[in-house]
Amino acid sequence: MIRSAGRLLLFLVLLLVPSVSGAVLYIDINAPGGKRMPIALPDFVVTGGDASLARKLPEAIGGDLAMTSLFDVIPRPAYLERIVTEHFSGRRLSFPDWKMIGTEAVVIGQVEVRGDQMMVEMRLYDASLGKMMIGKKYTGPASQFRKMAHKFANEVLYAFTGVRGIFDTEIAFSARPEKGKGKEIYIIGLDGSELRQVTDNRSFNLFPRWSPDGKRLAYTSYRTGLPQIYLRNLADGTDRIVARYGNSKSPGSFSPSGDSLYATLSVEGNSDIYRVSLAGSGVQRVVGGWGIEVSPSVSPDGKSLAFVSNRGGSPQIYVKEIGSSGERRVSRAGHYSTSPSWSPAGDRIAYTSFMDGRYSIYTVRPDGSDPSLVVSGNGDCLDPSFSPDGRYLVYTFRKNGYSELKIASVDGRWQRGLFKGLSAAGSPSWSPRR
Amino acid sequence: MRGSAGGKWILSALSVVLLVFAVGCAKKELVKSTDTASGAEAATPPPVETQAVPQEPIVTETMKPEEMQTAMAGVAATQEKPSQFPDIHFDYDKSFLREDAKPILREVADYLKANPAASILIEGHCDERGTPEYNLALGERRAESAKTYLVSLGVKAGSVSTVSFGEEKPIDPGHDEVAWERNRRGHFVKK
Repeated sequence: MIRSAGRLLLFLVLLLVPSVSGAVLYIDINAPGGKRMPIALPDFVVTGGDASLARKLPEAIGGDLAMTSLFDVIPRPAYLERIVTEHFSGRRLSFPDWKMIGTEAVVIGQVEVRGDQMMVEMRLYDASLGKMMIGKKYTGPASQFRKMAHKFANEVLYAFTGVRGIFDTEIAFSARPEKGKGKEIYIIGLDGSELRQVTDNRSFNLFPRWSPDGKRLAYTSYRTGLPQIYLRNLADGTDRIVARYGNSKSPGSFSPSGDSLYATLSVEGNSDIYRVSLAGSGVQRVVGGWGIEVSPSVSPDGKSLAFVSNRGGSPQIYVKEIGSSGERRVSRAGHYSTSPSWSPAGDRIAYTSFMDGRYSIYTVRPDGSDPSLVVSGNGDCLDPSFSPDGRYLVYTFRKNGYSELKIASVDGRWQRGLFKGLSAAGSPSWSPRR
Repeated sequence: MRGSAGGKWILSALSVVLLVFAVGCAKKELVKSTDTASGAEAATPPPVETQAVPQEPIVTETMKPEEMQTAMAGVAATQEKPSQFPDIHFDYDKSFLREDAKPILREVADYLKANPAASILIEGHCDERGTPEYNLALGERRAESAKTYLVSLGVKAGSVSTVSFGEEKPIDPGHDEVAWERNRRGHFVKK
């Protein structure tokens, strides 16, 4: 009786709420402080291989979902039903037992590891309807188990919100390795696991920037003694120099198509912004001037550039439509505003600004209106980079030489540390979607 | 048997049911059709799709033997090089030459003019404040303003080159005004 009433209610709600590409909007992702979806993530069934995966997989999914502030993961001790392999071959979950502990969704999973390969089947159930919403099987190297969990967390978020998740994205950054005085490029998962070193030449390797397809990184390296921009193919580890023109160089931003790079090149001490063709060797100046012009970030439609110029006496953020002569300043307050990052939706530009004795992260509309503080801390917050869904920023937090990477929601309500294992970690860059 | 969640469900379900009753008899068909749909869905649950997750695609670089020579230059770039000249210093976020820099630059110019075969690399450095990419450009400008002054003193432009290290190579590891002043510098290295 109770269950059928609940089922009736949910079906009515389903009928009333519009759906996006077949997904039901249970949660309005743009309504902060709204109701959270209670979800249960019982231990997975491990039929072969590492038994610790039974907990690591649901914990990885739970950690991802918690980051959204849209889900409440029901603590494990409350669970009344244990998941067994028969649940994957026809046995029905005891949905009243799940409803009783207040959950509305249950994720179950079954893992089998054979040698270095694994298969994991994961299912999302609506506990009120007693219905499977998603079922996925992932196969691949056992070392990739977190990636599989992140991919399924993306599916869960999509099922409830109609918004594609970013849990399998990664952050590239530069940091000082344990040995030496140089800096290397590293990549880390969004959940702070799976740190990998990309460069290993013991020189300065700085400013990594992802190509739109996520397969290449542009970065500055001093490996020959002088700063050059390199393009790394992540799949095979090969590098090539992108621009030989000029002195100091830093990559700013790939064009949306990925066929060129907006970069800062210094010629006779004058830093300007150039478009460097990656197919040929063409170099074309896009922003010039007598001052320092640096740090281009291209808009998602490819038509505009945000950049830094000190032409007004101090570094500030400017925007120009590429090909036009008009350039407008968009950062107002503060005597130091740098490192713009254009949001994927194109509606905001994040940047660093010095205000009240510290560097903080702000966003502003591309027309210069509505500046808004994102994060300010007991130290300096620098170098923001937008997540591919536009909901988060990764940035550097520094204080007295201590440095770590952090993530904040764009509204600033939610913050989390990402990485603090190496000194001088900085210049984070968020990968595109996988 | 049931918790408060169940009670809430009943209340909200009842209110919706009442609302639906108030709407009239059209509701009966509405509910029926969804029941049918639910029955159909229960009979054929969404299929479990299989997806292959590939091997980690990120490969750390491996250095070829022929690259080791240039790699040495890269490692050397991270190390402070001795200089026979004192460093010149700059104001915060500025690249113009201060008066206290000019006697040092005259000394460098005299050396280069007396030794036509010699050449100098001017390193531009910044303190740790601000953002690294802007500091790279600022260091470039500092080195270049020193070079411009040397050339104005009669030094051949071809015997002076510049490089910026931005904020990457502080000579003083501190995090205060004294350290910052020392780290905003131009450094002269004989090539």
